[in-house]
Amino acid sequence: MKKTHIAIIIVIALAIGAIITTINDASTYVGFDKASEVPGTKYTVIGYLDKEAEMDYNAKANRFVFTAVDKEGVKSKVFYNQPKPQDFERSEEITMKGFATDSAFIAEEILMKCPSKYNEQNEIAGYETYQE
Amino acid sequence: MEYVGEHLLPGILGRSFVALAFAAAIVSVIAYYLAEKQDSISFKKLGRIAFYAHISGVIGLVLTLFYLLLSHYFEYDYVWKHSSLELEQRYVFSAFWEGQEGSFILWLFWQAILGGILVFTAKKWENYAMMVFAAVQAFLASMILGVFPGGLRIGSSPFVLMRETADNLGLPWTQIPDYIERFPAFMDGSGLNPLLQNYWMTIHPPVLFLGFASTLVPFAFAVAALLKGDLKTWVKTALPWAFFSVGILGLGILMGGAWAYEALSFGGFWAWDPVENSSLVPWITMVGAAHLLLVYRNKRTGLGAAFFMSILTFVLILYSTFLTRSGVLGDSSVHAFVDLGLSGQLLIYLLFFTVIAFGLLIWRYKELPKSKTEDDLSSREFWLFIGSLVLLISAFQIIFSTSIPVLNTLFGPEGWISLMEDEMAPPLDAIEHYNSFQLPFAILISLFIAVGQYLRYGKTKANSFWKNISASLAISLVVSALFAQLYDFWSNGLYLALLFTGFFAAFSNLYYWLIQGKGQFSFAGSSVAHLGFALIMVGALISNGKQEVISQSKVFLSEDLPANENALMEQGDSIKLGNYTAVFEQLRQEGNKQFYEVNYFDKAGSNTADFKLEPFLLMSDEMGPTPNPDTRHFWEKDIYTHVTYSSYLEPTTGDGYGKEAEVKLREGDTALYRNHFVVFDSLKVRAGINDTTGEMERLTLIGVARVVNVMGQEFKIRPTYQLEGEILTHEDAYFEEAGFKFRFEDIDTETNQIILKAWTKLDENEKPFIVMKAIVFPMINLLWLGSILMVLGSFIAVWQRFKKG
Repeated sequence: MKKTHIAIIIVIALAIGAIITTINDASTYVGFDKASEVPGTKYTVIGYLDKEAEMDYNAKANRFVFTAVDKEGVKSKVFYNQPKPQDFERSEEITMKGFATDSAFIAEEILMKCPSKYNEQNEIAGYETYQE
Repeated sequence: MEYVGEHLLPGILGRSFVALAFAAAIVSVIAYYLAEKQDSISFKKLGRIAFYAHISGVIGLVLTLFYLLLSHYFEYDYVWKHSSLELEQRYVFSAFWEGQEGSFILWLFWQAILGGILVFTAKKWENYAMMVFAAVQAFLASMILGVFPGGLRIGSSPFVLMRETADNLGLPWTQIPDYIERFPAFMDGSGLNPLLQNYWMTIHPPVLFLGFASTLVPFAFAVAALLKGDLKTWVKTALPWAFFSVGILGLGILMGGAWAYEALSFGGFWAWDPVENSSLVPWITMVGAAHLLLVYRNKRTGLGAAFFMSILTFVLILYSTFLTRSGVLGDSSVHAFVDLGLSGQLLIYLLFFTVIAFGLLIWRYKELPKSKTEDDLSSREFWLFIGSLVLLISAFQIIFSTSIPVLNTLFGPEGWISLMEDEMAPPLDAIEHYNSFQLPFAILISLFIAVGQYLRYGKTKANSFWKNISASLAISLVVSALFAQLYDFWSNGLYLALLFTGFFAAFSNLYYWLIQGKGQFSFAGSSVAHLGFALIMVGALISNGKQEVISQSKVFLSEDLPANENALMEQGDSIKLGNYTAVFEQLRQEGNKQFYEVNYFDKAGSNTADFKLEPFLLMSDEMGPTPNPDTRHFWEKDIYTHVTYSSYLEPTTGDGYGKEAEVKLREGDTALYRNHFVVFDSLKVRAGINDTTGEMERLTLIGVARVVNVMGQEFKIRPTYQLEGEILTHEDAYFEEAGFKFRFEDIDTETNQIILKAWTKLDENEKPFIVMKAIVFPMINLLWLGSILMVLGSFIAVWQRFKKG
């Protein structure tokens, strides 16, 4: 067997290794219900902010508490031990990486999607509802 | 209907230029094809003329779009979305390429220019190479056509008027002839994303897109060679372009990193974000392609691999374009483009060139020359080949992980072939995931770079190899041991290995150039580029691996929770940040920027600050407050700080109330506010009617509500809303015990709900504060120095290749 063939076989083996590792390392998008079935296991939950519920950020204790609703409509209290993300109130969608406990979901990382400024501007200008 | 105040001419002109660019590219494809097939000079001339027409169209549409932006014609959707009156002139470039359409144009522009150069330099390759160029350009121009034949959408035009966009079409305001004057929203645009108002954003995108465009050149030559059946001589022509591509694409990516480090607040220059990955991956394969071309040029071996990598690189550019622009990355990246509904078109673009190019390679595979002898284990070509394989697998690992959203679309629960129960999400710890693979690859590549220069093509004599390399080996052992001691690398084997191989690569290349090559310019290209790459590795390793969050508190809330990485700094109080004592002095407002002045003292008790950092929050209506870091540069480290929260962001009323909350309540509803129940019992309506006219003069709405505290005690509150003529007044209700203030803000007549606002009295003694993150990045300057050297070295190599060619 040629040396190049050996090298190519090693490369293929590594590629398969990379695929398997990626699938193992990948988390899954779930809802709060599924996350709380296995407390302590890390998941990624996509939801949105429940604007009716109370939201509190205590800078001294460095704790931000809010309530999120996942895609299935399940509500959960979320603890985030980081400063309150800028402009959190306006977020359209929140991606939370973390784990469930018996009382709340502990988010370790939060990504937000804000409404495109375009639509927002439309509403502010008021011409979307303009009628004559 | 005649609209008033619109400037239609430039739009028509712009669309005509797009149509010209598109049509001329197609004519050029056909003409160049016939020129080759019929060996016809006149078709060749037609092909050229068509391509020149295409270039003029592209330049024309670039100028038109600039004209629209500079004239502030906000009736155009692109101008309205990406600029505003107050936008400084120098950011007009950033506005130009902020949107998808503008960045397509930028790409189109560079490829048109490179194509123009090839017309003169490609010689015998001109017909087929230009055919490939023109075909790529035709596809790209179709992305900005913005036509709808038979309900099908082809492209998105930057010259479309706001009233003609799909979102707005048919809305009542589009039927008003003088809408521009009637609605204030059209007087000014919505402005440029504040994060892009940075000089790096003026220069990073054009360099990056020139990098993207440059990958087309080796691809075009490779495809031309396969079409022609002339499989060998293209290598020489493609070689300088491949190294040009390595240099310019590398520069573009590094500039993106510099921008992220300077203007963004994720803390660092690289975050393995999908958008970053998708420009890194083609660069990695282009490095592989360039080295394989070099092997073939010198040793006439490995031609198949050189073809494969050259084609793959451009295909990866197309795949990256698909990833970042089709909306598929939506959930996993913070800065992918907005979906324009072009995903189908992008997919066709990708598949067309992938299938044709790889199809041709398979078709010609049998004709490729095979070397009869095996490469010697001590030969340079063997290790260059292995190095390229390592690069290939490294690129594969990155692009596979980045493609998780694509896997969901294909195999997810709602995918084409449903294999998975749940949707896959990107790895929770992206950095660890990527490093677990990329760190060993980086070690291997650095090692190859270290020894590569001392290997000969064909066979290397062991004693001369060891004689030449021993000095660099000895120096790098000493230096890496020193650094390992200084920055405590002994506990992590992989880090230690990369530290050593990185230094080894740096010193051996430096030695090769200065001692072996006697510092001659002709030796400089590859040595300087490799030295630069090695320094990037070492700089990235030390600055990232040994970064220290000095604002981190030592208090852990619980075992499984990460420590708080942000320091709370009350105004005037001194706080320990690493070796420094830091004091948040004051807030300074400058325009729409809030600067937070923080002084740093080296020695405790000292009266004069050693330095001052002013991270700021950029306040904008569209984006809210955007943090911008401020960094103190020392030669051996950076102190990087950004404000993550500030008490100035909390809305307060003029009379000292804060912690605002707003709720909508129907009669009988209960809300929770700061451990108290607020029950809205009923709404009392009183109307004052004028006796003589019978008209309503005054409307008073009283919200009858209760506050219930934790003890279950109830207190009545009566917030009142009064409308007298046109004048609205609120009579706020106070709940002294807890310091609450309630306001009957408004009434929603559609849902029969009242809008109630609540505040809490703020402690007057409470000082303003900021929450700040501070990170020390040691030796990050090695990274920037390496970046400059790598790019410089690549261009020297291009120049030398060009001279030899």
